[in-house]
Amino acid sequence: MGGKVIGSILAALVLVATWGPGAAWAQKGPIKIGFLAPMTGGAAQVGKDMVNGLTMWLEEHGHIIAGRKVEVIVEDTQGQPNVALTKLRKLVESDKVQVLAGGLFAHVGYALAPKVDEYRIPMLYPVMAADDLTQRKPARWVVRTGWTSSQPSHPFGEWVVKTLGYKRVVTIGIDYAFGWEVVGGFQKTFEEAGGQIIQKLWPPLGTTDFAPYLSQVRRDADAVFALMVAASSLRFPRQYADAGLKARLPLLGGGTTFDEFVLPSLGDEAIGGISPLIYSAAIDTPVNRRFVKEYRARYGKVPSYYSESCYTTGQWINDAAKSIGGDVEDREKFLAALRKVEVPDAPRGPVKLDAYGNPIQNIYVRKVEKKDGELWNTVIQTFPAVSQFGKYKPEEFLKQPVYDRNFPPCKYC
Amino acid sequence: MTRRALAPGTPRIAIAIVFGLLAVSPPFVSSFLQALLTQAVIYAILAMSLDVVLGYIGLASLGHAAYLGLGAYSVGILATRHGAGFWVTLTVGVLLATAVAAVFGLVALRATGVYFLMITLALGMVVWGLAHRWVSLTQGDNGISGVPRPDLGLPWSFAHAIPFYYLVFTAFLVAFGVLRGIVRSPFGATLVGIRESESRMRTLGYHVWLHKYIGFIIAGGVGGFAGVLWAYDNGFVSPADLELSTSVEILLMVALGGRGTLLGPALGAGLIVFLKNLVSVYTQRWLLILGAVYIGTIVYAPEGIVGALRQWTKGERAWAGR
Amino acid sequence: MREAPALALRLADVSKEFGGLRALDRVSLAVAPGERRAIIGPNGAGKTTLFSLISGETRPTVGRIALFDRDVTRLSPHRRAALGLARTYQITNLFPRLTALENCLLAVQALTPVKLHLHRALTRYPALFERARGVLDAVGLGDKEGDAARNLSHGEQRQLEIALALAGMPRLLLLDEPTAGLSPAESHSMTALLKKLDPAITLLVIEHDMDVAFELTDRITVLHYGRVVADGFAHEVRANPLVQEIYLGAP
Ligand SMILES: Nc1ncnc2c1ncn2[C@@H]1O[C@H](COP(=O)(O)OP(=O)(O)O)[C@@H](O)[C@H]1O
Ligand SMILES: [Mg+2]
Repeated sequence: MGGKVIGSILAALVLVATWGPGAAWAQKGPIKIGFLAPMTGGAAQVGKDMVNGLTMWLEEHGHIIAGRKVEVIVEDTQGQPNVALTKLRKLVESDKVQVLAGGLFAHVGYALAPKVDEYRIPMLYPVMAADDLTQRKPARWVVRTGWTSSQPSHPFGEWVVKTLGYKRVVTIGIDYAFGWEVVGGFQKTFEEAGGQIIQKLWPPLGTTDFAPYLSQVRRDADAVFALMVAASSLRFPRQYADAGLKARLPLLGGGTTFDEFVLPSLGDEAIGGISPLIYSAAIDTPVNRRFVKEYRARYGKVPSYYSESCYTTGQWINDAAKSIGGDVEDREKFLAALRKVEVPDAPRGPVKLDAYGNPIQNIYVRKVEKKDGELWNTVIQTFPAVSQFGKYKPEEFLKQPVYDRNFPPCKYC
Repeated sequence: MTRRALAPGTPRIAIAIVFGLLAVSPPFVSSFLQALLTQAVIYAILAMSLDVVLGYIGLASLGHAAYLGLGAYSVGILATRHGAGFWVTLTVGVLLATAVAAVFGLVALRATGVYFLMITLALGMVVWGLAHRWVSLTQGDNGISGVPRPDLGLPWSFAHAIPFYYLVFTAFLVAFGVLRGIVRSPFGATLVGIRESESRMRTLGYHVWLHKYIGFIIAGGVGGFAGVLWAYDNGFVSPADLELSTSVEILLMVALGGRGTLLGPALGAGLIVFLKNLVSVYTQRWLLILGAVYIGTIVYAPEGIVGALRQWTKGERAWAGR
Repeated sequence: MREAPALALRLADVSKEFGGLRALDRVSLAVAPGERRAIIGPNGAGKTTLFSLISGETRPTVGRIALFDRDVTRLSPHRRAALGLARTYQITNLFPRLTALENCLLAVQALTPVKLHLHRALTRYPALFERARGVLDAVGLGDKEGDAARNLSHGEQRQLEIALALAGMPRLLLLDEPTAGLSPAESHSMTALLKKLDPAITLLVIEHDMDVAFELTDRITVLHYGRVVADGFAHEVRANPLVQEIYLGAP
């Protein structure tokens, strides 16, 4: 609701502003942020979480950044790369925004990056996690305030061997780049620590009936690592329990299998699920407790990592703009400032960028538990200041190809 | 013919005005509108190509995005990996789409009606699946980015929006000219005959399957042509371009504009591109508006917008009538 | 010129089954070139099925069919049309949204290589138009060429049926109840039209109206429950007690 209304009002405002005698404040008008998110279609609810996050930060700060008024122009990508490209063009060429942010799906990220470089306008990626966007195909003008898909998997894989003691794991990952990267990162460190992936199953994107996959799961495993997204996340835990697997094989997962976006829709069958991510609404710090409380008061639900990341993106733009005295029109200077930002007290914890433009940040191992009748991702382990390369040297790491369906190969299958 | 005299050239004047606007206006509108116009014109080519199958032969295909994808991926792969120029990618894109249509036609044209719909849907999914799965070639659903603007080896550059628009517009005129020529040819007449009565065509002595097959292949080839332009326009290709929703959208463009009229589907393409992108700027209810437009069309103009206009001006469509 | 064939049409022990229903039962038939033959029989006797087998729209379950001495049992309808076969339909089968002239254009170009031309507008083939108009004139629809087929009266639609069949200049013409649904006056003019047909055309007419059948043809074949129960000259058939029983006893 909020996002939509604000989006339309702001769009109307922009119209008035561009049609009216705008020349009066031509020199230092408002800072315009162009925000891209899916506002219609299957991912509209996620898009709403994203807009909520940014809106909340701006409202808390009176829509002022570095002494200048801030306008956000939200454009609907419909979750499609070509629509996102068109809207990008609109935001840059018609609305003349000084900074861009947003985007949900990886392919949108890849589609936008070269255009952003062409326009030479900084764009922040709070959610789009495709590894190569800050690894093998970095874009100069893209600043990631979110994460890489494999980033949480790296410390988690090793931890599963060393702390949980599981040696043989079956993976079930949704069959697309994000799934490959999350599973691949897990497999790499899990096997290097002495574990063995004994089976890899890849249900296609959009799968909602997992019975054919669950019936194949090898029973001689110690645990299952599942990477689910969207509608699949909603259905998987129930079906996993119904297949009689929950009692036998503990369920581990990628962050989105149990993130705060799906938890309210899951039942008790999700309890006990363990997954790593850059955020948990249950992080027990004063900053996060306040953030969750305030977010709930405004939007009536627990913030997801999508909301947190977009909230922190507001902070990010603010800190960068402030450091250059609000002179966001000097794009090179603004970009440099964006790359230098360190947020020590984001709800998710301290965040700063590595040399490749991806955050170094805490990774939380979270376990689904029930508190006061609600499901929460209780933090059971925190890895501080994890980079996208984990414990590897970037140059070494980048020699390996990007994770995919068959990389790392399944040696123990 | 005599009955043409009832509406002397009304549609022609309208058409001339629209074409004139398309030719003249781009430099004077915002760059966002330019972008939309470019997209609309590319989609118009695509919709016109599907019209050959849906409007003329009378078969509803739900796999037309495949040809868009084949053209687009030809560009994506050849231009980024092998530095191929426009003419090479264009040739490969169109030939590949034509060849694939020739193979798909063998499978799909065994069926009619809803079975044809389902087979084309399945074939479209095959191409989508390849784009999605053949990662070493297509980079999977991350897509192929960084497609450069085309270089035609001409003294001027198409790197900027306006020249590129005129390139696309020229391509549209070529596609329109070719398709219009075809539907008005004796062969085109046979497609209409097949739509109206397949059994009668057969006993008159037509090898009906062959005519459908040729029409199907032409539609695929022109679809690939649109795909080539699409890839250059976006600078990006991904399996999202080949999804079922794209095929549905093309089908709706044809139905909305008026099947079997060529320019109707082109108009439908323009309307939908603008609704999708422009209306969504002002309201997230754009889907509702689009839905209302569809329902309105089904209820008040089952023959599509151009179909309704023709009935209204009593200008029956006719290839013998000119 | 082609060498004159011994037989225009020959069916040898042709049967057709639809599921369990035997629509045609070991039908044999020989029609000489230039012959005019009526096929009569009660509803459901298998007359239309017989035509569909001859035209190739359905295949016989067993038996063989030959056109102009050539075995066509496995030939598709368009190949049979190319041999000089044309038919009309009992249930009008036109191109409803096309004009009468356009209907005829499709018919006249059907057996010419022009039908695969896609580089030039149809309007650039005046010879086709001339022939199409000629056919329309021949059936008396000359002044209706601009009307959509679906807007023609039923009688006119039946005339257009004939025009489509004649457009290909067939050697063997199958007419399936040409007077079905016509008023007596219309029926009369239709009969007159058919009587004027080139005598070289071999003609098979399915006809309900016995008077019309006798007027148009000299030989008659009677079908009953899929079998040929009588076959001969008009007066012979008329005298056949079985035929009298079928026609008078069981309408
Ligand atoms: N396609 C078909 N499928 C099943 N039964 C059919 C089909 N065509 C005709 N029949 C049946 O075959 C019989 C003969 O039909 P038909 O040849 O139309 O008779 P007629 O033309 O002499 O009235 C009828 O019982 C009819 O129901
Ligand atoms: Mg009959």
